[in-house]
This record gives sequence, C-alpha cells and structure tokens, in this order.
Amino acid sequence: MAHDSHDSHEYVPEIAVDRDGNQHEVQGWQGDTYGGKLGFWLFMLTEVMMFGSMFMVLSYYFHLHPQDFLDASAGLNRVLGGTNTVVLLVSALTMGLGLLKMRNGDVKGAKLMIWATILLALVFLGVKAVEWTAEYHHGIFLGLDALQSGNEHSLPFGQILFFGMYFSMTGLHGVHIIIGIGLMLWLLKRINSGKVTPEHNILHFNIALYWDLVHLIWVFVFPYFYMIGAGDIAGGVIHGH
Amino acid sequence: MSKSYFDETHCAFGHPKSTFMQWMLTIDHKRIGIMYAVVMFTFFFVAVAAALTMRFELFAPGQQFIEAQTFNQAFTLHGVIMVFLFIIPGIPAVFGNIVMPLMIGAKDVSFPRLNWFTFWLYILGCIIALSSLFNFSIADGSVVFNFADTGWTFYAPYSLNTDTNVVTTLVAAFILGMASILTGLNFLVTIHRLRAPGMDFFKMPLFVWGIYATAWIQLLATPVVGITLVLALLEKYFGIGIFDPSKGGDPVLFQHLFWIYSHPAVYLMILPAFGIMSEIIPAFSRREIFGYRTIALSSASIAGVGYLVWGHHLFTSGMSDMAKTIFSFLTFFVAIPTGIKFYDWIATMYKGKIVLDTPMLWALGTIITFAIGGLSGVTIAMIGSDIHLQDTYYTIAHFHYAMLGGVVFLFFAGIHYWFPLVFGKMYSEVQAKLAFVILFIGFNFLWFPMFIAGYLGMPRRYFDYLPEFQIYHQFSFWGAIIFVVGLVYMFYVLIQGIRNGKPTTPNPWNATTLEWHLPTTPPPLENHTKVPYVDFRPYEYHHGQPVVKFDENMKRID
Amino acid sequence: MVTNYKAEKASYYKVLLGLLVLTAITFVQPSMFLTHYTFGMQMLIGTVKAWIILMYYMHLKGEVLIGWTVIFAVFLVAFFFAIVMIDVNYFQFADVSHITSPAQ
Repeated sequence: MAHDSHDSHEYVPEIAVDRDGNQHEVQGWQGDTYGGKLGFWLFMLTEVMMFGSMFMVLSYYFHLHPQDFLDASAGLNRVLGGTNTVVLLVSALTMGLGLLKMRNGDVKGAKLMIWATILLALVFLGVKAVEWTAEYHHGIFLGLDALQSGNEHSLPFGQILFFGMYFSMTGLHGVHIIIGIGLMLWLLKRINSGKVTPEHNILHFNIALYWDLVHLIWVFVFPYFYMIGAGDIAGGVIHGH
Repeated sequence: MSKSYFDETHCAFGHPKSTFMQWMLTIDHKRIGIMYAVVMFTFFFVAVAAALTMRFELFAPGQQFIEAQTFNQAFTLHGVIMVFLFIIPGIPAVFGNIVMPLMIGAKDVSFPRLNWFTFWLYILGCIIALSSLFNFSIADGSVVFNFADTGWTFYAPYSLNTDTNVVTTLVAAFILGMASILTGLNFLVTIHRLRAPGMDFFKMPLFVWGIYATAWIQLLATPVVGITLVLALLEKYFGIGIFDPSKGGDPVLFQHLFWIYSHPAVYLMILPAFGIMSEIIPAFSRREIFGYRTIALSSASIAGVGYLVWGHHLFTSGMSDMAKTIFSFLTFFVAIPTGIKFYDWIATMYKGKIVLDTPMLWALGTIITFAIGGLSGVTIAMIGSDIHLQDTYYTIAHFHYAMLGGVVFLFFAGIHYWFPLVFGKMYSEVQAKLAFVILFIGFNFLWFPMFIAGYLGMPRRYFDYLPEFQIYHQFSFWGAIIFVVGLVYMFYVLIQGIRNGKPTTPNPWNATTLEWHLPTTPPPLENHTKVPYVDFRPYEYHHGQPVVKFDENMKRID
Repeated sequence: MVTNYKAEKASYYKVLLGLLVLTAITFVQPSMFLTHYTFGMQMLIGTVKAWIILMYYMHLKGEVLIGWTVIFAVFLVAFFFAIVMIDVNYFQFADVSHITSPAQ
C-alpha cells in the first residue's frame, strides 16, 4: 500500500495535460507542505474563537462590574505573573531558534532548543502552581467560601466572576501548556526516528506555531487579569506575603 | 472486471487481511462517507422513534403512556440525536466525503488519516451521548431514565441544576463539535489545495461551494459552543459563577454563546443541501444552471450573514431592545441570498428538458416545503410577531419545514442522485417515486397543522394541552404515521437497490460534473484514472446533452 | 544559506528585545503614564505585542491566503464582541435585576 511509505521523496506528482498539450503538475495530498501549514493555521483559528469567546464573557462582566474587577485584579500577584510572562517570552525564542536550526540542518541544536522550551514550560507550570497554592491559602479558590454566594466570606458579584474566569482561563491556558509539552516530546521522538528532518520539518514548524499561539494567548490573558487593576496599588503585591 | 473501492482500500496503519478491519481502518474518503451514512441513519431512526413516542403521548390531552419526565427526556433525546448526531455531521460528512473530492478531481481529502480519526471521534461522541440512556433504574415497576431532560439547548441555569445526567451529553456535544471542526478543516484545505489543475473557484461545482461555505461555519462557529459547554461544565462542577444568577452570572449570556454557534449551525446544515439542489436541477433540466456566480456567492454570503443573526433566538429572553432591533434587521438579510438561489433554480428549469426522475422529484418537493419553511422564518424574524410565536408549535413547524423539508429532503434527493455512483446499481425508480409521494403527503399532514396550533397558542415541549388543540395533534399523529411508513418504505427500496439493483453505467443521469466521468462504477480506489485539466464550466449542456466528454484516460474528446 | 540563518537568528533576538521592552512598559504604565486609561493602554500594548509575534515569530508576513483567514476570524470575534457589548451596554433591567445587585 503506497501510502504507508512515509518517505515522500518517492511520491511523484501526476501531470495533467490540457487540450493544447501543456503539462500541469497535479497537487496531491502527499507531501503537501503548504497544505499542512494552512490546515494548522485553520486549527489555530478555532483556538482564537475559543479564547475570543472567553474574553467576550470576561468583558461582559467587566462592563457590568467595573470596580469589582479592578479591585480583584489589584489582588493578583504581579511578580509571579510577570515572571511567567518573561518565561514564556523566552520560551517562544528558544522554540523559534530550534526551528531555525532544524531548517539549517543542525538537528542536534534543534533538539537542544526543544528541550530548553520544555524546561521553560515546566518552569511556567511551577510558578503557576506556587501562585494558585498561595491563592488557595488566601481563601480564594474555586469552591471556597469567598467564591460562593450568600455567606459571610462571599466576595461581591463582580469579584466572584473575575476569579471564576481567572481560574478558568489561566487553567485552560495551562492545559494548553501541558499539551504543548506533550507535543514537543512527541516531536523529539519523531526527530529521533528520522520522521522529521531538515527537509521535512512541517511538524516542527506547526508545533512552533502552536507554541507561539500559546504565547499569544498569554499576551492578552496577562494584562487583562493582572494589570488592569495595577493602578490602584502601585506595583503592590497583596497576598503571597 | 476492474477493482472498485469495495474490493481494496488504504488503511490508517497496518495491512489487515479481514474485510471488517479494512473498513474500520480505512482512510478512503468514499468508505468513510458510507460508514458515516450507516451510523447516522441508524441514529436517525432512534430519534424518529423518540418523536413518534411523543406523538403517541400527545394523541389526547392528559397522560397516555409515559410520564411527564420521560416526555422531557424524549424530546431531549430527539433533539440531541437529530441535531448533534445526525444533521450537523449530515450532508458534509456523507456527501462531502464521498462526492466532494470526486467533483474536484482529487484522489482523497487533504488529510486522509485525520479524516479516519475524525470519524472515530464522531463515534466516540455518539457513544458518550447515548451512554446515559443505559443508565436507568426500575422503580415501582416503571423504568426511570437518567437521560438529560434539558432540551438540546442546555439552557442555563436549569441545565446546571437538573439531577439528570446532563454532563455526558455536554461532553458528547463537545466531542462531536471537535469532529465537526476537523471535518470542516479537512475540507477547507482540500478545496484550497487539491482542485484539479485549471479549476478555479468559479469552475467548481456548486455543491463544492456549499461544502466550502459550510466548512467555514464548522471551523469558526463550533469552537464558540465548544467553549460554552466547557464553561457550563466548569460552572456545574466548580461553580465559576458565570451562568449562575446567584453569583451574578447572566443566563442570557449562555444563550448568546450557545446561539452564536447554533444559529450558524442551521446554515451549516442547509448550505450543502442547497448545493445538492444546485447539482440536481441542471442535471435533470438538461440545461446549464442560471446565474452560477450568484448561487456560488449567495452560499458565501448566507454563511457570512448567518454568523451575525443569532440574537433572534433571544427576543423573549431579556435581551436589550437595541440588540433586538439590530438582530431583527440583520435576520431579514438572510432571506435575500436564499431568494436569489430559488429564483436561479426556477430560471434554470425554464425551457429546460425536465426529466422527472426520483432525485428531481425530491428537489421539486423541497422547493415547496422549504419555501414554506423559509418564509415562515421571515415572519418570526419580526420582533412583534415573534413575541407571540416564540416557543410555540409555529416555530416548531417552521423549523421542521426548513430542516426536515429542506435539509433532510435534499439529503434524500442526494441519496437517490448519487446512489448509482456509490453502489454501481440502481434502485427501483417506480418504488422510489412512490416512497417520495408517501413521504411528501405524510410530511405536510404532520407539520402543517402545527402552524395553526402554534398560531393559536400551543406551546412547544408541553406534555399536556387544552382540549381545543386535540384536532391538530391528531392530524399530526396520522401524518406522523404516514411519514414513518414512507421512511421505512424508502429505506426498504434503497436496500433492495443495493442488494438486487440493476447495474448501471458511470453516468446514468447524463450529468456533467467530474464525479460522473469516472472510469467504472462503483469508482476505483483512487478515483479518476488520470486527473483531468479543467478549463470548462461545471454544467455545460448543448441541446440537452453534456458538452464535455472524456476518453478513458480523462482526455477531452468533444 | 548561512548568512540567511544568521540574519534570521538576529531578527529573532531583535523581536525578543522588542517584546521585552513592551513587557516592561506593560509593568510601568499603570503607575507612570495615562493612568486613567490603564485598561485601554494595556490592551493596546497587548495588541502591538500580538502583532509582532504574528508577523515575525509566526511568519504571517507575506502569507496572503492565511493572512485573510486570520483577518476573517479576528473580524468575527470583533463582531461578536461588538454586539454582545451593545447588548450589555443597553442592559435595561439593571434596577430590578438580581445579577447586578443580590436579592435581599
């Protein structure tokens, strides 16, 4: 069965001939690099729609409860959030450099860069864990009294909604980070088994795109949650101390 | 005798010997399409059974056979299966898979393994959706089901509070949504990348245009409902508060998010159906389609405008008057490109040599039923009349005239049209026409009385009703009986066709598009012998005969 | 090829530098300038960062078809935003609604 040979070198495109005898190369689904790229971009648009919808929910309630949102935002830990921003920023660079090395034939360097990206992703998750733990001990976590209605610890509506969305959105972003780590490990496996090479790097290219998208989402998640209320207490860190 | 795609296949992995495993692992677009059809129509009959149960219950006022709670679960089951398992994958999953690559001269879709994966994702979704059906208990001698009772719309806050098993249904809808996204993604890349040389967008058959417009909706609207269902799950189990009024959450926002997808979803259903219509009308009028470009662009604009009209489902939900006005205004716009299509089809038939074969009968029947469904839709796009008619049988009748009388009828038309292509055999035309007549009569008996009942105030989803509505329910009941008889008969005729039908030629209908220029029927594994160069329009007829002809090596010989 | 590699590598570092500077601005803006427009400023900086990432890290520059698909998706999100925000902006039941003030 022809399609089981993964080596797309063997695939010879068909030629269609028009009535004047001119030859036209037929694009097959095999070895269609641009098609792979287009398909992955389309997939990323679905992520844009998903996170876009969540930002819409967030904006809806921001509009209904502006002051509550600013108050809640002021309470987040900007040092940890900012650290993660920088971590993710650098990881986007390592991922990009890895792809660059792969394309230029430096497979070893590429693998090193992917490992660096995985490491930074783990750092990101670690910081996130520290942050959520601190918030938990501070009494703010899904299911705790502060985020329930009608008890003495209840926060105002706007703050409940802010934190509800904060845990949902950063949580889903974290899930994307974990999926990203999984994808990178898979990529390393494919590189080791020679399925991804400097000539056929579409998988590497697409996973790099995915990682940039994860970064891109954070570019909006970070200011919307951590920074909008920063003006109230300049540079302040309320909890975690 | 040359080998067809029934004899050999490519597999996602391995080289299984058994026929069964070859079907399970196949990446051939034609086989995958057939498997979708088998699964979908199996579930279709389950949903029909649920609907028939409701009709039996509603034969007279008061309780007849089932509990009120079971009734709620029956309409949820009917809605969930019909919408998520049947009509959303619907025509794209079956004919988009089987026919679309043939129409553009491709060997397969762009990502055949993804296609295989998508099919099994769909199956997984189906299993999860129906798993809670088997989660029942027997109390006091009667069966108590645990299936969701929210209706297929899962409106918050009820869906967050109900004790029934709404979680599996939500998860299933999410997974089925992912399958739908991946189907759309695959088709978009296929249409962009794998068209035969020379075939630009305005040389594509109109069914491909329908699939293309649909794929954009699948891709960009489905994630919105996906995340909505995830948020609903987070709400239910972690109490994030956003749909819970006791924490300041707004249930109307759930409706916004839900309909941002679910309204475009009805265009996702109807656009490929319109595509089938645009194939059948020229083929059986033996005449080039009138206004090719306007039909193609109206598909695109229905998809585009269709994204922007979801709010007409919220006219009575407490949305602001400003938003209501905007949505009512935008909704009217959808009628314009739809009307353009209808006039184009009728103009195509004008002075054509109309051949009343079964597919054409279905298409003509649909022109009547969808016109009723579409125009009644305009009446409830008006805010004033919608306040009166929302959530009544009028809306139900509108929806079923548009979806059953539009999408499903054209689906049946497509089945009769491409049947000889897929199986290389022909069903009995006489019997198939008889089945059409039974179904058409049953359909109108079933749904038309609901317009009147709804106009007089019969609310939908009610277990009981006032005695003055009995006459309409009984009309509907007998209509339903006729309709189900017709359905069973139609499938009997088709299955007889598969088993004992007469062999046909590759182009029994004298149609023009590329899928009728295959070397053999059923088609070989990798479709056309050679990829043709396409420098002709898709529907060229001259004196009632197709203009473009190919020899066995796909060289033009006209 | 090698010079190309070096040039691309250099551009990656330049982009990193730009993003770091923008991140720094993100941090100081709420206490330094335009403090009454923090939300708008933050989103503006975010958009600039997103633009840079899309164009240079994600190689969107020069992609015609993919570029249009992205624009289409972003336009749709923007439209959904606009309508839903119009709806909440004209929210008519704030005085009587329990989602804006808890039931007593």
